[in-house]
Amino acid sequence: MSAAQLASVFGLGALALYVLATAFYILNLLRPSAWAGRLATAAAALGAVLNFASLYARAVAVESVPYRDLLGSMKLFGFFLAALNVILELRHRDRSLGPFLMPAALVFMLVALLETPVPRAPSPEFKGSIFALHVTLNMVSYAAFAVACALSLLYLFAGRALKHRGRALAGPASRLPTLGYLERATRTSLAVGVVTLLVGLACGFIWASRIWGPQNLRWGLDPKVWVAVATLVFYVVILVRARTGAAPVTTARLCVAGFLLILISYTAVNLLVTRLHSFT
Amino acid sequence: MNLVFIGWNHRATPVEVRERIAFTPEKAREAMKHLFAQKILTEGAIVATCNRSEIYGLSEREDAADAVAAFLSSFHQVDGGVLRETAQSGGGEETVRHLYRVASGLDSMVLGEAQILGQIRAAYRLASEAGAARAVTNRLFQSALECGKRVRNETSLGARPTSVPGIALLLVGRVFEELAGRRVLVVGAGETAELTAELLVENGATDLRVCNRSEGRAAALARAIGGRAVPWESLVTAAAESDLIISATGASEPVIRAKAFAEARHRARRHGPLLILDLAVPRDVEPAVDELSDVYRYDVDALNEVAAENAAARRAEVPKAEAIVEEAVGKFRDWYGGLHHVDVVRALRGKLEGIRRQELEAYRGKIAVLGPDAEKVIDRLTDSIVSKILHHPTVGLKEGDASDRLERADAVRNLFRLDPPEKP
Repeated sequence: MSAAQLASVFGLGALALYVLATAFYILNLLRPSAWAGRLATAAAALGAVLNFASLYARAVAVESVPYRDLLGSMKLFGFFLAALNVILELRHRDRSLGPFLMPAALVFMLVALLETPVPRAPSPEFKGSIFALHVTLNMVSYAAFAVACALSLLYLFAGRALKHRGRALAGPASRLPTLGYLERATRTSLAVGVVTLLVGLACGFIWASRIWGPQNLRWGLDPKVWVAVATLVFYVVILVRARTGAAPVTTARLCVAGFLLILISYTAVNLLVTRLHSFT
Repeated sequence: MNLVFIGWNHRATPVEVRERIAFTPEKAREAMKHLFAQKILTEGAIVATCNRSEIYGLSEREDAADAVAAFLSSFHQVDGGVLRETAQSGGGEETVRHLYRVASGLDSMVLGEAQILGQIRAAYRLASEAGAARAVTNRLFQSALECGKRVRNETSLGARPTSVPGIALLLVGRVFEELAGRRVLVVGAGETAELTAELLVENGATDLRVCNRSEGRAAALARAIGGRAVPWESLVTAAAESDLIISATGASEPVIRAKAFAEARHRARRHGPLLILDLAVPRDVEPAVDELSDVYRYDVDALNEVAAENAAARRAEVPKAEAIVEEAVGKFRDWYGGLHHVDVVRALRGKLEGIRRQELEAYRGKIAVLGPDAEKVIDRLTDSIVSKILHHPTVGLKEGDASDRLERADAVRNLFRLDPPEKP
């Protein structure tokens, strides 16, 4: 079996496990039971492993980072979401993020499997660690912002339930983490996202200077660069505000809005506007 | 012999009577000793809580419940007529059902309360240590504890608190990961404020401030709970800088106005959610603070509303809990019914007769060689052996008091692995 075929088989396996994980997480949210929770975690963890295996096989097949194209990067995004979900779950002994993160991982994986088995071979500039770091760190930052968005949605839901008196003490809202935890975890996710985006962008600048030379700044005119810098500034402002006393509800709303911007940047900007960052 | 209970609880017995027949562990031990010495009971246990004094046991007397009441009348020096009038009693299956319902929290003053299971465990331990728990009591109490646990695990009868302090703590738990390090402001220094503050300290609160019109009382309460007093003039600022506010003053109008509070909170730039538990009537905190984001205010009405909702949710679980109790009663009935002397002897004879026939069948070929006369002799011989083996157990199962007989019957059933009697 070729590396490209292996990538597809592992990808399908990961997809099936994400479907199972999503189903069990939602079942566990609505009717909590130990076995549903454990099965959800196991399926998510195993799915993430297969997702990684699929990415690795694809990297071997294309002889480059396996996420140069939109669909490949979606596969990476799905992996980060599933992996972060499992890490946060094991760390905090809490499964409330799963019903939100795993459906997203599932959708990204589903779309990713529409990819052609082997994209055309990359030109030499798409090889090398700086380029790989640039793409990988940017994807990590997107995943961190996705987690911040999911935590923020939970915060808004839990806060709303508390405002409506007893609702926070019964039903699904009573099984959510505390507001304090959601707020703190949102700030941590924001910080991780901001740092990785900053370093990822810096890697991109270094890589572009090497390819086109430090004098040629044509890459700086690419809309994707400006959108990425604007995204970074937006999230830095949210983070600074959150750390200096802004209302958590406002931070949560901004995190949700910020992630919508990222989705637009990730899809519409890459596909329709940018030339340098169009998926190869 | 009869499995009986007689008890005085919050349902039918006024507190003045309940407090006079309350049992300390020493008194319970002493009472059991007398009950056995006077042959009123042959085994049993006393369940004593703040709401009930109940005696469960096995007796050979038809009037066991009356005899226990008469004994307690002299033991506690209480009028026998009052005791008889206010008692709840029953026999046989009723006894089992009552204890199972008690263990499940179905008979508690606060439906589904959790402490009762621990109290029944303590009663059983006391009876075991005193040598008062024998076969039936062991089975009765062990199965009651199992039944109580099943109700707790399989229903949400006790899942949602129905008391104001319980709800307050649950709300705190929905907002904060832990109370340690959270800034708590106690407004007022009366009994409610003090009790709530103590509850918070017990649950991990470390950073407490007390604000009261009378600075002396604020300082006294602050000292008592390990906090610090805040001048009344700084109330709004202190409130804006807090994570949790407990307010219980006797003021006739709000002491924290929404507009001033919103301005102070803006100035304080304090991030994070704020929970306000306004336990005062009239309210201390203006309801308009609800408009502020991240501020969650619960007044007495809201807490009572939650308590009523939770109580209704508990009541909705009663049928499920009763079904578990009935299932457990059925199991006990099967076990207890199987200890009847005639049934045990019949089952034992059936078992031995089965073995005899099985062995005769196995050796039929070899016996047939000996001729028809020898066959009859061997049949009679083995039948006689079985009858002789059965003689002493049959007599032994009738000897001793009710508990002795049931203990032996249970032992015989276990040793010979006798199947439980068939259900009619």
